[in-house]
Amino acid sequence: MHKQKGRGRFAALCVLPATILFIIFMVIPTLQVFWMSMFKWGGISSNKTFVGLSNFKTLMADENFLRSFQNTVLLIVVVTVITFAFALVFAGILTREKIKGQNFFRIIFYIPNILSVVVIAAIFNAIYDPNQGLLNSILSLFTNVKEDPILWLGDQKLVIYSLAGALVWQAIGYYMVMYMASMSAVPESLYESAGLEGAGRMRQFFQITIPLIWTNIRTTLTFFIISNINLSFLFVKAMTNGKPDGQSEVFLSYMYGQAYTNSSYGYGMAIGVVVFIFSFALAAIVNAVTKREPLEY
Amino acid sequence: MKKALSLGLAAAFVLTAFAGCKAPADSTSNGGSTQKKVLKVAALESAYGADMWREIAKAFEAANEGVTVDLTISKTLEDEISPQMKAGNYPDVVHLGVGRDAALTETMIKEDGLRDLSNMLNMTVPGESKTVKEKIIPGFLDTSITNPYSDGKTYLAPMFYGPCGLFYDANLLKTKGWDLPKTWDEMWELGEKAKAEGIALFTYPTTGYFDAFMYALMYEVGGVDFFNKVTRYEEGIWDTAEAQQVLDIVAKLASYTEKTTVSNANDSNYLKNQQLILDNKAIFMPNGTWVVGEMADVPRVEGFEWGFTALPAVGDGDQYSYTFFEQMWSPKEAQNPELADKFMAFLYSDEAAKIFAEKGVGGAVQPITTASSLVNDDLKLFYSIYDNGAKAAMGAFVATEPVEGVDIAKSVFGTVDSIVSGDKTVEQWKADIIKASDALRGALK
Repeated sequence: MHKQKGRGRFAALCVLPATILFIIFMVIPTLQVFWMSMFKWGGISSNKTFVGLSNFKTLMADENFLRSFQNTVLLIVVVTVITFAFALVFAGILTREKIKGQNFFRIIFYIPNILSVVVIAAIFNAIYDPNQGLLNSILSLFTNVKEDPILWLGDQKLVIYSLAGALVWQAIGYYMVMYMASMSAVPESLYESAGLEGAGRMRQFFQITIPLIWTNIRTTLTFFIISNINLSFLFVKAMTNGKPDGQSEVFLSYMYGQAYTNSSYGYGMAIGVVVFIFSFALAAIVNAVTKREPLEY
Repeated sequence: MKKALSLGLAAAFVLTAFAGCKAPADSTSNGGSTQKKVLKVAALESAYGADMWREIAKAFEAANEGVTVDLTISKTLEDEISPQMKAGNYPDVVHLGVGRDAALTETMIKEDGLRDLSNMLNMTVPGESKTVKEKIIPGFLDTSITNPYSDGKTYLAPMFYGPCGLFYDANLLKTKGWDLPKTWDEMWELGEKAKAEGIALFTYPTTGYFDAFMYALMYEVGGVDFFNKVTRYEEGIWDTAEAQQVLDIVAKLASYTEKTTVSNANDSNYLKNQQLILDNKAIFMPNGTWVVGEMADVPRVEGFEWGFTALPAVGDGDQYSYTFFEQMWSPKEAQNPELADKFMAFLYSDEAAKIFAEKGVGGAVQPITTASSLVNDDLKLFYSIYDNGAKAAMGAFVATEPVEGVDIAKSVFGTVDSIVSGDKTVEQWKADIIKASDALRGALK
């Protein structure tokens, strides 16, 4: 009994430093975001005025914020669906099929993850260039884009999809490697017996591979939500900075603009609160919807 | 024993985790044997480079014994001094203008964080006989930028100035036999002629460059009175015929804008739009004198020669060119206000102006009455614009209390992208501006 108590105390002491650091650097700043969102404050001086929920009220009527909200949701959906599909298929091919240059493809697909966002943004700025860009040059073989160039980053209806293109390109490799890791753990015997029973490749993929890596897929869906919110900010900053006319603004870029450029720090924090709640809620919903009994093998 | 050891180890671990949290040592405690004073100066490293600031610091130290200038020079000055300021560690003098993305200067204005500079302006320029106020070119101390609260007091000191206007290839107009348009009607005629040859009349780096352009246009259309009403968000001002004319001219210009401009009109790709001028794909762009240095090393068509003009006049009115200038300020929390004033006054001396003109890349020109003798020949083309009949436009939208979600610059200038691409009509543009203007009127200081 005495020994038990001593052990408990030792364990508590061991986790204490981490707990204290976690509280100081994670819990308190997060709570502070909530607290500061109820002030009218420029961010530097000590002139803070408590305004209650007024920042949130303004937010609900702020068209620019709603547009950035829409853009973020659109990016989360589009980028997740496309990246998810490609990463899963590529991972399936690279683990299950014997193709030439397998390792080569693995490396190629993973390279975008090693590059910094600014480099990727520069690459895509060059690809989307209306005059000399890769995309318009290829399209000019089929249509008349020389005379009437497609403005990938200038057309207000296209710009958000152009950003999605860059986001997908950089994300595929990362998720592909994650899926490959769990796919290679699926026992070969399952595929062999399925093959003997006459199941084709497609059927094996949908009925063996996907159910068996389901826990992994669920985890990555949460990653998709978080990383899309974060990375879309970096890409917007490095590629368009919200232009043209605010049409490519996303959650965090709008928050940055309000907190700093517009000297409304409290309002920026209110946006932060909405982002926080939104990403938590979305992750929880996705988690609940995708809940399945884990399959054992 | 074992238990004591493990407890001790755990305790040591907890302590080391906090070792980094020790408060920084007070930087002013430097022995105390001599009466050394440290002046903290923070300056933005703009296109003029950092060298000139080091030279200035040296010259000031040489003239004031026992003073050390602690310089912070950075291209992203806000990132370095904002955290320090939040921690209560303020610089004494800051050279950082309005109109930056991080908007630190605007935040300081809105938060009443700046020191009144009246004392400094009444000081005699070190080593000279005039006061600072007398030495600064008339007009620079009467703008809504330097006197943000319209209370007759100066809070931001004007620094390096330069005219803004339209830049073009003078050789292109010469070889084609086209005259430089003096009025907007001539401008549209030129637009048609150029269109026939496959050249666009106009391009712009980003919509941010429309500030100087539209301010000058407001002066042309309605004079200083109209400009002041617009920039002070007067009720109904955007419903006047003058305002409509400003918007209509920009909208017409939008229809003559090179078609890929919007796509590159962002902070990463704007150089491609400036390149259109050097490639003779577009004739005019709004810009400032720094563009010559910025585009110094890029390829260009043969015979290219920079040309610079004020905005074409409306009817038989005057041509205007907006005068861009940077600003310097001193925070209320500055530790050495007297020394800060002395340093700022020194910057308007001939000695300092010469250092700025010679050591600044391309030559930084101080807004002082003796400036013309210090300008080098390359810059004469630009600075002579006011001698050739163009009038100077100065000022900007006045500072207000921050209004959440409302940004007048985005409403007025940023929307130009949508006008060019046809996503918004002039009526929608006007409605947006009126909404923003109405919201800011109530927040005026």
